[in-house]
Amino acid sequence: MAECSEISLLLGAFDDSELEPNEMQEVAHHLARCDSCTAMLADYSTIGRGLRTIAPEPMLAGFATAVTVRIDALPQPLSQRIARWWRGLGDVFGSGFAWGTGAVAIAVLTILLTTPFAERYASRRLAPASSAVSHEVAKLEQGAAAVPEALAQRDSGTRAVMAEDSQAIISRLEAEMPSVAVWSEPQSDTTVIWLPDQP
Amino acid sequence: MTARLGSFLIYASILALAPIGHALAGPAPRQVSIHVDSVLAADTHEGVDARLAPLGRKLQGLFAYTTYSLVSHQDGITECGKMIAFMLPGGKILHIQPRAVDGDMIAMEIVLFDGTRPMMTTDLKLKDNGTLIVGGPRYEQGMLIISIGASTGTHVAPPREKIEIPAEATTP
Repeated sequence: MAECSEISLLLGAFDDSELEPNEMQEVAHHLARCDSCTAMLADYSTIGRGLRTIAPEPMLAGFATAVTVRIDALPQPLSQRIARWWRGLGDVFGSGFAWGTGAVAIAVLTILLTTPFAERYASRRLAPASSAVSHEVAKLEQGAAAVPEALAQRDSGTRAVMAEDSQAIISRLEAEMPSVAVWSEPQSDTTVIWLPDQP
Repeated sequence: MTARLGSFLIYASILALAPIGHALAGPAPRQVSIHVDSVLAADTHEGVDARLAPLGRKLQGLFAYTTYSLVSHQDGITECGKMIAFMLPGGKILHIQPRAVDGDMIAMEIVLFDGTRPMMTTDLKLKDNGTLIVGGPRYEQGMLIISIGASTGTHVAPPREKIEIPAEATTP
């Protein structure tokens, strides 16, 4: 049987319901037979209520929202931001639709961006460099059927355009002479490169 | 659900990357037939060499010379990536290297040498069975006109008599 000196130490915690179940039961049994401890418990309760009325309670309205906002404001890794955006997209459109749209977008972008470069890489090889004058002729002029004497005077650096049904597409032309004439004759399906002989 | 979406994503990526792999792998080497005619063009009023038909009519439509004489005709077969050389009159040498066949276009590099000196280098795409004419170098009493034809074999050029280059003309 516990003495009052022992029980009195537990009364404050008993009043706050902070004791273990067996201790709560022991204190309760003791209080049923001990008036002095009961009076002491009543005093504790009175003092506790008085203290609670004196101490102001913190304002908790909006506390959870404020915490969430501050968490969101913390810097986050890019991967987490993308994942959160992706989850948000999934919430709006549905997960399957979002994944499908993303995959299609990636596929289309990949095709558009990389295929031309890959084809160009596959079909293009560097030719040996020449110290001669370089003439960049992207395409030839459509239907430029002219006499060579006149075209020989043309500046060889001129960019021209060739029709799709022309016979040749010249991507590079280097010659040792400063002027070169290039033209296409659609009627005969022929492309001509004229190299004026140097004196 | 996630597994199916992942599978779809992988499948879409493979579809997207397939053209790249195909382009990088490149087509198998294809044979390309090259035909080179060397023609002397001059103003000596001798008309068109009968052996030039139908190239003669084409040349008459392009140039205003009064004489077109076939000096040499050479044929060669090569494949993409392999260079073929032709000895031309006047000590000229023609290097042709087909690079790829893209549809009905044949990508090739052509280098014309005067002896060992490169006169002209060009990268071009020539239509299958199309003709490229390179002219201008002075030769004998006129100009040398080189007709270059290329085909992948689907268009067969009519057989022609092969004319060798005169020995004195091949000396640089």
